[in-house]
Amino acid sequence: MALLRQFAHGIRALFWKERVADELEEELHSFIEAAVAQKMRSGMTREEALRAACVEVGSVAAIKDNVHDAGWESIVECVWQDVRYGLRWLRKSPGFTAVAILTLALGVGANTAIFSIVNSVLLRPLPYRDPDRLVRVYFHNSGLGLRDVTFSKPELDDLTNRSGVFEEVSAIGGGSVNLTGAKQPERLEFVLIGFNYFSMLGATPQIGRLYGPQDFALGFSPNIVISDALWRRDFGADPNVLGRTIRFDGDPATIVGVLPPGFRHPGPTVSGDVEVWSAAGFSADPFPKPIRANRRLNAGVIGRLKPGLTLEQAQARLTAMAAEIRKDFPTDYPPQAQWTIEIQPLQEFLVGKVRPMLLVLLAAVILIVFIVSLNIANLLLARASGRQQEMAMRLALGASRGRMIRQMLTESLLLSLLGGLAGIVTAFATLDFILRFAPASIPRLSEVRTDWVVLAFALLISLLTGLVFGLAPALHSAKIELSLAIREGGRSSGYSSKTGRLRDVLIVSELAFAVVLMVGAGLLLRTLRDLLREDPGFNPSQVVAAKVWLPIPDNPNEDPYRGIAPKVTFDRELLRRMMAIPGVELAAITSDLPTTNHILNDPLGSDALAIEDRPVESSQDLRAERIRISPDYFKVMQSPLMRGRAFTEGDEDGKPPVAIIDETTARKYWPASDPLGRRVRFGQDPTLPWMTVVGIVKDIKSDGLDIDGVPHIYVSTYQSPDRATSVVLRTSLPAAAIEPQIRHEIQSIDPGLPVFNVSSMNDVLDRSLASRRFSADLVGGFAGLALLLASIGIYGLLAYMVSQRSREIGLRMALGASRSNVLKLFLQKGVALAGIGIVAGVVFSASTASLMASLLYGVRPHDPTVFLAVPLLLFAVAVVASYLPARRATKVDPMIALREA
Amino acid sequence: MTDKNSDLVQGTLDMLILKTLALEPMHGYGIAIRIEQVSKGVFQVNPGSLFPAFRRLERSGWIKSEWQATENNRRAKYYILTDAGRRKLKTETREWGRQIAAITRILEA
Repeated sequence: MALLRQFAHGIRALFWKERVADELEEELHSFIEAAVAQKMRSGMTREEALRAACVEVGSVAAIKDNVHDAGWESIVECVWQDVRYGLRWLRKSPGFTAVAILTLALGVGANTAIFSIVNSVLLRPLPYRDPDRLVRVYFHNSGLGLRDVTFSKPELDDLTNRSGVFEEVSAIGGGSVNLTGAKQPERLEFVLIGFNYFSMLGATPQIGRLYGPQDFALGFSPNIVISDALWRRDFGADPNVLGRTIRFDGDPATIVGVLPPGFRHPGPTVSGDVEVWSAAGFSADPFPKPIRANRRLNAGVIGRLKPGLTLEQAQARLTAMAAEIRKDFPTDYPPQAQWTIEIQPLQEFLVGKVRPMLLVLLAAVILIVFIVSLNIANLLLARASGRQQEMAMRLALGASRGRMIRQMLTESLLLSLLGGLAGIVTAFATLDFILRFAPASIPRLSEVRTDWVVLAFALLISLLTGLVFGLAPALHSAKIELSLAIREGGRSSGYSSKTGRLRDVLIVSELAFAVVLMVGAGLLLRTLRDLLREDPGFNPSQVVAAKVWLPIPDNPNEDPYRGIAPKVTFDRELLRRMMAIPGVELAAITSDLPTTNHILNDPLGSDALAIEDRPVESSQDLRAERIRISPDYFKVMQSPLMRGRAFTEGDEDGKPPVAIIDETTARKYWPASDPLGRRVRFGQDPTLPWMTVVGIVKDIKSDGLDIDGVPHIYVSTYQSPDRATSVVLRTSLPAAAIEPQIRHEIQSIDPGLPVFNVSSMNDVLDRSLASRRFSADLVGGFAGLALLLASIGIYGLLAYMVSQRSREIGLRMALGASRSNVLKLFLQKGVALAGIGIVAGVVFSASTASLMASLLYGVRPHDPTVFLAVPLLLFAVAVVASYLPARRATKVDPMIALREA
Repeated sequence: MTDKNSDLVQGTLDMLILKTLALEPMHGYGIAIRIEQVSKGVFQVNPGSLFPAFRRLERSGWIKSEWQATENNRRAKYYILTDAGRRKLKTETREWGRQIAAITRILEA
């Protein structure tokens, strides 16, 4: 109430200024009248009384001023005056203003754009009901060093029924699936879920319904829920889609609901957003029998904790429960496995992996904003020295020093707000651009937007920069020695040692920050370059790859590819048709295309292995990734076979099983002996036949260029086929040119097969580096910006020094200093500053570089090349930036300089 | 004329104005005269501090103003104590009493 009145009065005084002033005038007038009347009563004449009263009242103007100052609106007016003055001052020097606002726009813009991403991906809670209670559940065999292992249905039930910490639990099994019966055959992301998945996440349908108790089935439910995107793409957003049946890996499924556009599955996906949700009871065909030993469910588990439970409490209870279960079922849980359960916040599970990268980006843009601030502080300081006379005059006319600081700060804040505004515009313009290059592996990218948190952040950043770069010149202006400034005022005040030192410090820190940023960029770029130079173990040029997936219907009788023979027939027919495409030299099949293997981080990516004549206990941690290939695979990929032979058409079902191992497998499992002729098999089943090792192939980077040391065993696709089929073609044709033919040929074999991810092998490799390229390019760009700003800073400082000291230079030259003396004078200054800044930056980088270790590959955080190249580059730029103004100094004509002075 | 106002303890002018207005509504000059008379000339209130004080008190809602005719039929702005002002005066007076007593105790100790 009181505040409101203050406000109302103030507003009235601001907007009806004249009326308020008139009223005060009249009141003062009546005051004097009353005084005169009073004095006349005590016997004075009117003139005497009037004079006495006027003396008593004093200056009417001063009273008006006092009254005015009593209200808050006077401060507003004062600030407004400062703002107008500041704007005038900015307009007066358009060059400086443009540079300052432009660099600020870059600094604030980069910060805002990157922070938009950080905020949406890392900071904002997940878009589900009570997101802080959602967790990811893992089962580990800690004793065997196996994390996130598969589980059985009873173990899943324990979480719900026995642990007492979960409100709801759901398995989430991701994968992709062939969709037929809608438009054309399509490869879609789907997720296999429990029936309470949607209620756990608090999802509501756009149309239709989500799973409820009435859908319950022991195996797969016949009903599915689809995404908004699929609904629009394949069904034209038709509301009558409900009840329609589509084929989903051959199985009929009825659409019962469509999710709203914003809903996304909280889990990693293979190649895009999940579009089909399919629920199951996990207890009947095709799922393994629900007994403990059948630990074959290959899915993730998410759960909602009961309210009021902390993560630690829940974890403690689950650890205890795992111990009880191990005790209750000793045969199912061998003690050496140390089977246990772990939970992790769902948000951490989703975004934990990209956090280091995003934080490095954020650090980079914060460094940029520091550098921008320091640069502008320097420019402002130079101008402040130039304005000493003006300041001295104001001080002499009675301005208080506080008032002067306020005015200087107002000007700086004005500048920073203008820059911030430009920065927000820049951020809006660049965010889409940045996002276009952002790798799909960053989760939640679709949620990225510039909300009020981001705008507040941008405002805060600009105000902080304004304070940082405004404070130095403001304090400086307040320290002006009045008499000195006025005396010097007639001419330029020279490069006084006090501001000079402050400016030196600013430049040195600017350079140091630039070094830190450049070292970070150098490390990331070197990592990227090393990875690009890394030998992938094959020759990616002139290879086109395409993917096909042979569906697995739940009903085995509807499966056209059941057993080995039909799949082998398909493979052979596929290869025959591919080879017939004009321009294709050679074709082969693999179950796993190099560098695309790791995306799901599937714990089953590697299979348990047994080696003949090795004790079973030691075979617990024998694992290798199994890759099924056709005979010509190594020829198409041009991967050299080191020893032994490749597969032949004869290595088919019914013939002795054979295997080819890579060098890592050979080194790891036969360090001292010859693996050729040894026998291995996958799985623990003693009835499976042994496979004879017939060849050793060079390591192929199957799991990504930056993943080493995973053992791989290749088996013949004719002996052990897989539904996942990638075909690789050696051809000089571009992928886009032969894609229609590839699709046509494959769909001539089976019209229901979607053909997807047709691209050149070079693009496949490139995509696997998308995330590293993204961060390296961005940080590299920021480092370039830092270099530019730092050189502008040095150049600006020295150029200013030269112009301020031209009289001194003239004098020196008149007294006999040579041009090279003068050149040295300024060059030395610039080189000294650069040297100190660079050394400081190198020391700081060296102490922080290890924070980036997780983003590096093949490069140590203290990589000598980077730590040598960056200082040299920066130093060279600093020398050039100092040389230009120094040379100008030598062009000073002593006569002119002295006369002008 | 000496400005005795600087001798006034900070904030007491407001209290004196409120006290003066507690008797009846008054215009500015009336208030100044009354304070001077009652204090037997110890406090001579200068308009340079009086008018800002009016503005402050009015903003705080302790007094309000009204243009009225004076005894000799001129227009003058009369200040009137509000209920809030009356309460304020009471607490101020009590507080002042406490402080004076405390200061007196210290000086006499």
